[in-house]
Amino acid sequence: METVNLKEKEINDLCRLLLEMGALLMSSGANTSRIRTTIMRIASAYNYHAELLVTHRALMLTVYGKDKDFFFNRLKRTPPHGANFKMVSGISRMSWKIVEEKWSLEKVVKELEILKNIPRYPRWIVLLVVSLAGASFCGLAGGKITECIVAYIATLCGLFIRQETAKKGYNSYLCIFAGAFISSMLAGLAVKYNIGDYPQRALISSVLYLIPGIPLINTFSDLVEGNIMNGIVRGVNGLIIAFAIAMGMMCAILIYHI
Amino acid sequence: MDIFLFIINKWIWLGCAAIGFGILFNVPVRTLIPIFIMAVMGGSIKFLTIKLGGEIVLGSFLGATLIGFLSIIAAHIKHSPPFIFAIPAVIPMVPGVFAYRMMLGIMRMTDVGHAAFPGLLEETVSNGLNAFFVLLFLAVGVSAPMLLTRTESAKNFKLTIHAKQEHKK
Repeated sequence: METVNLKEKEINDLCRLLLEMGALLMSSGANTSRIRTTIMRIASAYNYHAELLVTHRALMLTVYGKDKDFFFNRLKRTPPHGANFKMVSGISRMSWKIVEEKWSLEKVVKELEILKNIPRYPRWIVLLVVSLAGASFCGLAGGKITECIVAYIATLCGLFIRQETAKKGYNSYLCIFAGAFISSMLAGLAVKYNIGDYPQRALISSVLYLIPGIPLINTFSDLVEGNIMNGIVRGVNGLIIAFAIAMGMMCAILIYHI
Repeated sequence: MDIFLFIINKWIWLGCAAIGFGILFNVPVRTLIPIFIMAVMGGSIKFLTIKLGGEIVLGSFLGATLIGFLSIIAAHIKHSPPFIFAIPAVIPMVPGVFAYRMMLGIMRMTDVGHAAFPGLLEETVSNGLNAFFVLLFLAVGVSAPMLLTRTESAKNFKLTIHAKQEHKK
């Protein structure tokens, strides 16, 4: 009886842990097959089978022993999505260490806690470097130094507004709309008053920091690997983001009559 | 000398754009330098293809494929999943100008007269298709190396055949 209780506790803990990892991976921007392989890998390291249903906003997991004496079934909602590749990388590394070094469950819990507390880049670094990326897009499109400065300022302000609205908890598409609108209003000023040689290029590149790069690549890899439902969901998500960007830009263009 | 400066200029822009997105996606610090190098190499292939008379779609595809292969190598060296390198590195090649022109064309179509409509439609559809195909081939190119090697994880490349059989058991 003692061992039965022990086993039941172990399978409980394992299932909770696997679901948490899966939810973290999903919200950090991993694709479906990566989530599935990671979860299966860890489960098989503890000699259990795992079956997983992955959707955009929820995960369902069934874990059962090789002898099928116990099984455990649970559903977990995924937290709101926000790209965090440090988490994906950390969990992926950990999953290999669990297999190779035979970690105990307590150690995994501790490591996951450490991973969750890894700080993001400081906000001012994000603002400065992403604005530099905006200026770089302008340079790539053939802009001169004046246009690059316009794109830098527009990206900086737009990203700031987007972060602020996201912090206040507005709808995420609305945040993207606000960011695109502010960016194009600022860059549109340059077009309106003809600052620089090709002010249009500054306008184009000032909203490029919002492009849904992760949904784009993940949509394709999910569709090709046969996770068609998830692929469609991600694709629609990416389309709505692109639409929000276009709406923000369109409003600015209509206001300025460019 | 001028062409040299031009190339250096492009390289810096390509790398900085990729690093910016890396920071936005919160990549580990150790992956920033590989992302920079991969973005520079992929973008160079794209510009080279266009310079040699190739289509922008082909150029983007070749650049993205190179990034896809490099991402697998980088994944071994830096111990991170390949797509962490590939997604930020491929973003500088996103066709912003085409997408913008398509959007502008669609907006203008709502209130343009009969005479100008066919020309505008042609232009808009052409720009839109270009943007769509470049995006599609960027995604294909990045995923191609993983599809070609038919493994679920880049780590398996390293394992010997014996170890692989062990793993399957």
